[in-house]
Amino acid sequence: MSVFVNKETKVICQGITGTQASFHIQKSLNYGTQVVGGVTPGKGGTMHLNLPVFDTVKEAVKETGATASVMYVPAKFVKSAVKEAVEAELDLAVTIADGVPLKDMLEIKSMLKGSKTKLIGPNTPGIITPGEARLGIFPEDIHNQGSIGVVSRSSTLTYEAVLETKRAGGGQSTVIGLGDDVLIGMDFIDVLKAFHEDDATKAIVMIGQLGGAFEETAAEWYKRLPDKKPVVAFVAGNAIPFGHKMGYAGDITTNGYISVQDKKDALSDAGIKVVNHINDIHSALEELR
Amino acid sequence: MNIHEYQAKKILQEYGIKIPKGKIAYTPNEAKKAAAEVSIKGPWMVKAQIQSGARNRGYFIEKDAGSEGGIRLVKSRRNIAGQAEEMLGSTLVTMQTGPVGKKVSRVYVEAFSEVERYFYIALAINRVKAELTLLVAVVKDHDILKLALSRPEEILRVSLSIGQEVDKDKVTQVIKFLKLKPRSAKYLAKMINSLHQVFMEKDASMIEINPVGVMKNGELVALDAKISFDDNALFRHQDLAKLKDDCEVSERELQAAKYRFTYSEFEGSVGCIVNGDGLALAAMDLLREKGIGTACFINVKGGVDKDKIASGIKIIMTNPRVEGILLNILGGFLRCDLIADGIVSAASEVGLNVPMVVRFEGTNKEKAKEILYTSRLPIIWADSMEDSVDKLAQALEEAA
Repeated sequence: MSVFVNKETKVICQGITGTQASFHIQKSLNYGTQVVGGVTPGKGGTMHLNLPVFDTVKEAVKETGATASVMYVPAKFVKSAVKEAVEAELDLAVTIADGVPLKDMLEIKSMLKGSKTKLIGPNTPGIITPGEARLGIFPEDIHNQGSIGVVSRSSTLTYEAVLETKRAGGGQSTVIGLGDDVLIGMDFIDVLKAFHEDDATKAIVMIGQLGGAFEETAAEWYKRLPDKKPVVAFVAGNAIPFGHKMGYAGDITTNGYISVQDKKDALSDAGIKVVNHINDIHSALEELR
Repeated sequence: MNIHEYQAKKILQEYGIKIPKGKIAYTPNEAKKAAAEVSIKGPWMVKAQIQSGARNRGYFIEKDAGSEGGIRLVKSRRNIAGQAEEMLGSTLVTMQTGPVGKKVSRVYVEAFSEVERYFYIALAINRVKAELTLLVAVVKDHDILKLALSRPEEILRVSLSIGQEVDKDKVTQVIKFLKLKPRSAKYLAKMINSLHQVFMEKDASMIEINPVGVMKNGELVALDAKISFDDNALFRHQDLAKLKDDCEVSERELQAAKYRFTYSEFEGSVGCIVNGDGLALAAMDLLREKGIGTACFINVKGGVDKDKIASGIKIIMTNPRVEGILLNILGGFLRCDLIADGIVSAASEVGLNVPMVVRFEGTNKEKAKEILYTSRLPIIWADSMEDSVDKLAQALEEAA
């Protein structure tokens, strides 16, 4: 068991003929992911990496029965790529590129509302269910199967968190990078909810960071949850001074300025085990046993 | 990307927002002429154009620039040139510039606007709700940051529906909150719609008018203006990209931007090289716990070109503030061996004269280690984030 993707999930790749896409799709195929086709407008009818290429997502879905898409298209094409995925009623779309314009993301977010499609990213390493499916750019060899769900807003700290689950003697059920950008598709709540519904996930590691109020809303949700799975959290960014561009001046749009300490307090208050160092995650996980 | 006040005002004016009559000046003589052009009689405002808020509460480093801040009220036309001369070429320090300050290369001369009161208005994005949010407040001394930190409940936040004119109810809500007279309602609605239009059409990430002045007849005038544009959307705004003022950005930031790396500077002494912002944030937190500040960090992201990576590493190695280097790379997209090649090539050009701790994980980690062993560079090896920070702290202590 796992969340969102497993070895049965049929995946297409939007932008499959690109260099990075080819490189990573080959790796995903080697990993065992059921990639069943690709989409590159104008190249429909050809083959690439021994997979059929289609002009549109709709066609690809009709012919292959795919339910998920991973896109390696450049940032400026992400909006139209997601639009296609939404219109083809895919369950999941994963978009890797960083630097999608804010306005495009505002429009993407309103497209996603009320649609069937869930979006991971942009600016994410993607999603991996160890031993089953890899959609994105994850290094394959650091993951191993297990019962810890990992969800992170920081791409590279996702890998740190995975290494910590291994140090604790465990493995991962599914690993999800939410994305480093200002606006993202799925947030912590979507993923925490899925991990709670997944029997294979026994504990969860979540990695937050400065900016936005994603951790606070997740804490509120978790607090009200009747049956809680244990969550260990780390939040990065304590050393960034307020007003620095990394602190996102736009954050006063939420409720005052939210510091890393505020986030940690909100998570602790909800019953989540908050660690102060990323390398403390493994000991916190060991204590859960 | 940020632009200057006078440029932001010009854009707002194009969208129907009222601004005081003003003109830009690069010399004292131009300032004097500008004053005559914008108003036949005083007073005038002479405003230093640097990209920073709180210019009125700032100070100049140079003594001959006078004791006043960067926003000056000048009553007599005779004094315009003198005030402009004091500020032009001088360095203005504000809360936002850091102690180094920014050099003033031009001043904006404006006709003084008679207003009854002031308020703050801004448009920004609420990240969690992915909505456009209008912010308004009555702010003492125009210090919005102070208010956001101390009494956030005194800032009203109203979500706007993208691409739609603002509802009457929302305008009324804002009018009541700010205790404005009803006759300002139509001007407020117009201002909100104009801001919304600028935001969407120009791909802004934030627009702020601090303050808006309320005139006797209820009309609203933008007395200051700040627009930040979304760097990721500049490709569709060639006209705006031209407004970028390279003097506002440090040489190192410019270089990093050329390679599309993220680069940030702080007040400390350690240079961090990472391939994800989160790694830098986590490393900075650990350093801070040991009482060590970060001078700068560079995020080389998923780089695939080793010459570019070498240039990025050089930016850190040549920063005179850097007394030690901390490198944390978790290879995925990015191959560790490219980073190792980059370190060797950068060090052979500019030398490695400070302790450097290296920690590799992920794609091609072993190959990367071998490259650095062979290079005989004095690298200190670490095998986790925490270990890397401990070892650097130790090395810095030994060096001291």
